[in-house]
Order: sequence, then structure tokens, then C-alpha cells
Amino acid sequence: MSSFSEDSTLVARALKGDRKAFEMIVRKYEQPLTNYLGRMTGEREAALDFTQEVFIKVYCSLGSYRPAYKFSTWLFKIASNHLIDHWRKKKLPTLSLDQPVDGDEATLTPQVPDPGPSVARKFELAEIRQKIERALDAIPEAFRELFVLRHVNEFSYEEIADIKSLPVGTVKNRVFQAKEMLRKRMEGS
Amino acid sequence: MRDCRNAESFYLYLEEELDPSGRREFEAHLAHCPSCRDVLAERRLLHEAFTSLPPFEVPPDFALSVMARIPEAAAEKTGWLAALASGLAALVVGLLGFYILTGESLSDVLIAVSRSLGSGFGRLLPLFAKLLKVGDLLLDVASDFMAMLGKGLVALLSSLGPDGIGLILGLGLLLSVLLFFGAKRLLSLGEKI
Repeated sequence: MSSFSEDSTLVARALKGDRKAFEMIVRKYEQPLTNYLGRMTGEREAALDFTQEVFIKVYCSLGSYRPAYKFSTWLFKIASNHLIDHWRKKKLPTLSLDQPVDGDEATLTPQVPDPGPSVARKFELAEIRQKIERALDAIPEAFRELFVLRHVNEFSYEEIADIKSLPVGTVKNRVFQAKEMLRKRMEGS
Repeated sequence: MRDCRNAESFYLYLEEELDPSGRREFEAHLAHCPSCRDVLAERRLLHEAFTSLPPFEVPPDFALSVMARIPEAAAEKTGWLAALASGLAALVVGLLGFYILTGESLSDVLIAVSRSLGSGFGRLLPLFAKLLKVGDLLLDVASDFMAMLGKGLVALLSSLGPDGIGLILGLGLLLSVLLFFGAKRLLSLGEKI
């Protein structure tokens, strides 16, 4: 059974009151959802709290899920909206994807490959990962989110476009910009 | 010759997101551009790091703690529906039982029900007094029967799901329509008399 139809079956069972089916959904998605929310909040405990809240929201909204759509896309859309609501309540500055980015990142346009000192050659993979984690906290969340959805959660660009209700081309470009922001911050550190 | 300024192509190439012709063009360019090959090697290591960030640790009992916070929402939401459907189903069973025992047609049963409802509150009072005496005796038996019927219906509804509940409600609606026309016929008979 494919993951797609397996999810639809579990949702149908959960809708009929089968709590075990929903528990299976939680077990399947607890890790990817915590990875996503952890990278977005930067704190494990906060990520676990958010993950719980998202699952409760999902359970209460199961009736509105349409099996024609991929469940994981629907789940992450709810998670993304939950984060946005949280930031709005906290009145944290959020950055629209349509806004220009301040600083160096604002001028991230296709450029000549940098022949200067290579980050990759300087550090081993583990060190690079540590640097990425630190750099991730520093880039605007709207870019960070697309990067995380693509490279941590391994969604396709089309799926991310569905989750964020954005054109595929915009998603591709923003993920590229996020990676360049990370690379530049790592080079500067 | 490929344009070296398109930095996005390096990532798209590594993610295998370039279309076949774009990929061929990119590889052809790499074959004679050492600078781009160096950049690609660097981006490849970065790409590997991007796609292998360590997961956040999730406690083994996390799913159970989520489930503990989830209310018995499904049961709560359908509770009133189950009660309504049980009542309607009991009414249908009662009418069918009356039909089987007396041999009266369903329309006659409906007319009789309507007639008894329309016979006046004053005439019913003595009847209720007598019924109360008999009711005491029957109450124990009836409560056991209703409890069994209720449990059976709840089990039936949970197995039927929303579609089954809809079907039963539809049956109830049909019965209401029959009752309405039965009462209408009774009234028209009264006018003729």
C-alpha cells in the first residue's frame, strides 16, 4: 500500500473514532514534524510543544481533509499556519516572501561562481552541519522555512508550493536564495 | 557555451532538478570549465550537509502524550446523533411490531397513532393513571430491553459510521412524512363525517 493511500485509510479510520489509527499517524509524522518545527523555533522543547498542538489541531480538523490531496502536504500546511499564528501573537517581525531582504541577502541574484576560498574544503561535513545550524537561526524565517521543507523534510518543490500556496518558480528561487544566504554567513563566520 | 553566471544551476543540478537538455548543457560546460568544476565540488559538499542535518530527538512516549491530550471528540460529536437515531429506530421497531401483531396496515397504524394523539388531553388522563399501574410492572422489563437496544444501536452506529447515521436519519425523515400524511388523512375523514 502506498504512503498516500495508507494515510487516507488511517484518516478514514480515525474519522470513524478509531484512536489507534490516529496514533499511527502521530507515530509516522512526529519525527518529520518535530524536525521542521525544531528548525523553525530553534528549540527542542518548544518544537515538541508545537508538534503536540499541531497534532491536536489536525485531529480536530480531520473532517475537512480531502483524500484527493496528499496528507503530509495538508499536515505541514497546518503546521506552517500554526507557526505564523504563533509569530503574529508574539508580534515577532515576520518577513513576507514578496518583501526585499535587508543587507547582503537583498542583492542575491545569479552571480559569477566565487573562485575564492572554499567553505567545503575548509571544514569537514560535521563541522559544516554545525555551521549550517547556527546560520539557519540567522536567516529570515520565510526563507528558512522553505529551505527546511526542501532539505530537512525532503518535500518536492511542487509540494512546497502547495503547502505555502506559492508558485513553484518562486519556491525554487527562494530555496536557492536561502542556500546562498547560508553559504555567505558560513563563509563570514 | 553555457553562461557561468547562473549560480542556481549548481544546486538544481545536484538536486537533479534540471531537465535533460539543461543537464546535458551543464555537463558539457563543466567539461571545459575548471572554475565551475571547483564550484560544483564545493556546492556538492554543502548540498550533502544540507540534506543530512541531524534529526531532533523525539521522546519514545511522545505519541502517547499526544493521544492523552486528544479528547474523545468523535464520540462527543456524534452523541446527540446516536440518541436521535436510537429514538427513531425504536419508533420504527414499535410501529412494525404493532403492524405484525395486529395485522393492521401501516397507514391504519399511522391513522390510529394520529387519532390517539388528537383525542384530547382530558381523555388521556384516566388512561395514563391506569397505564402507570401497569407501567410499574413493565418498567423493569422495558428498561432492560431499552438498554440492550441502546447498546446494540450504539455498536451498530459506530460500525456504520457517518453514512449509516445519515441513512437512519433519512429513514426517520421518511417516517415523519408518513405520519404527516396519515394525520392529514385523519383530518379529511373527520371533515366528511
